[in-house]
Amino acid sequence: MAEFFGATVEDVFKTQDARFRAEDAKGVDAVVAYDITGEGGGRWRVTVRDSRAVTEKVTGSDFGAFTTKITTDAETFIGVTVGKIDGTAAFTSGRVKIEGDMKIVALLPRLFTKYSPPSRGVSARDIIATFPERFRPEAAKGLDAAIGYNLAGEGGGQWTAVVKDGRLEMREGLAENLTVNQTVGARDYVDLMLGKLDPMVAIGAGRLRITGDMEVAKVLPKLFRKYEPKEVERGPELIVLKKTISVGMRFSTGPVMGRFLEGLKGRKIFANVCPSCGRRQLPPREVCAVCRCRAGEFVEVGPEGVLVNVEICYYASPDPLTGETRETPYGTSNILLDGCRGTETFWHYIKREDLFDVKRGSRVRPVWAESRTGSVHDIKYFEMVR
Amino acid sequence: MDATGGKRGEQQTADEEHACCKVVEGKLALPYQYFAGRVGSRFIISLRDGKRILGVRCDACGRVFVPPRQTCERCFSDLSEKWVELSDTGEIVNFTVVRYEDRHLPRKPPFVLALIRLRGADTPMAHIVEGVAPENVRIGMNVRAVFADKTTNCILDIDHFEPV
Repeated sequence: MAEFFGATVEDVFKTQDARFRAEDAKGVDAVVAYDITGEGGGRWRVTVRDSRAVTEKVTGSDFGAFTTKITTDAETFIGVTVGKIDGTAAFTSGRVKIEGDMKIVALLPRLFTKYSPPSRGVSARDIIATFPERFRPEAAKGLDAAIGYNLAGEGGGQWTAVVKDGRLEMREGLAENLTVNQTVGARDYVDLMLGKLDPMVAIGAGRLRITGDMEVAKVLPKLFRKYEPKEVERGPELIVLKKTISVGMRFSTGPVMGRFLEGLKGRKIFANVCPSCGRRQLPPREVCAVCRCRAGEFVEVGPEGVLVNVEICYYASPDPLTGETRETPYGTSNILLDGCRGTETFWHYIKREDLFDVKRGSRVRPVWAESRTGSVHDIKYFEMVR
Repeated sequence: MDATGGKRGEQQTADEEHACCKVVEGKLALPYQYFAGRVGSRFIISLRDGKRILGVRCDACGRVFVPPRQTCERCFSDLSEKWVELSDTGEIVNFTVVRYEDRHLPRKPPFVLALIRLRGADTPMAHIVEGVAPENVRIGMNVRAVFADKTTNCILDIDHFEPV
């Protein structure tokens, strides 16, 4: 079978059920049909139901009933699976075709841990084996904890590190009463230990999941000396620096935008009106953008409205107010609030749970933040009126 | 309520206008990854591990580039294996005094940022000059590299230059 990026299509589906994360599949009932074309391709059907996943090879030409069908060539499929090809770009360029329910496609990365091609270097198992020699009893004083390592995929497995009275005992399998449980793909775990994958990035991307007592989870890195790979990779050292440019900014609102923000504090949405053409501007601006005359009069609009346009963002971009990268997918929309006409729309977020249900014309209402400070985030998002 | 359902507001007085002015704090954080390249990596590693400043010489036109680059800007020759070692001393060919403070800057102002041509090099490199008051810096001044105690894997493995 043709190999791309160090894996075959068969490899990916063989490990599919082992990579399933039942805890994220509650209430999911779906059949995903995969039509992988070209050299090294084939047909598979993945059924997720009752918190179980079943992957089967389809021999005939008929997939039977499916919720979603994904059609792509073998190289693209493996590239997207291992993260070498951008999935969104492959979809927009037409190399990946999706029929049926799109919602399931967005869910897939949460339902299955990422596939990692067979590791050629150190394995997660090798690293786990170094725990006893790297253990620092002085850092474990007073700690009584069972720490689970659930490392799926090639070279992985399940282990529990039992720490008590400054001593460490490693056990195969996950103990019943874990203090902390860590679920991560075996290859990702190796990358985390080698410093090639940033833990915060891994958590953000849903590739590393830590549950249980977070206070204990925080001290975990101190319990062990840093893992040093025994075999140094060949070839000259290359320098890569990971940096963050961080620029502080201050926006001055002026009196008009300021009045709008002040209104949000009191759960009121204000537009201002052009005295010449009667347009409403939302958010209000000092001057009518069409007539170029001062627009002073404020009127309250909304708070409910109708969706005019919805945009779902799959590319994370930093929020200019916080510098944090937003979790994807997120939805933004233009909303025609009650009392506004034509193009006098208001822009805001759509509630994540409503993202795939809203349509043009859906009626929505704002969900206000508990504590409001006179900021655009005083509205958390708009939700569907059901 | 007006005809379209909005509630009529009032014109703001000057005091009300003033009270409404706000300042919103924002922050733009852009994570990125910088790759020094094969040639750049060797340059930094020799600063870091050997306290040696390397450049490259173009055989075709004879010019010595510091910091090194992979390709000669004039004749496009491949310079990636044409290493030469430079002296740690050189002369200031131009300079400026940085007088504003920002956190991306390597020093508190005022400090001197100079173009320094090392002995044996044809191109100058930018670096910090310390050990001389900004008003006393002159073009043509001889300076020597002072290496950093702690590595940052970048050009600041030379901490600064100081007058000889």
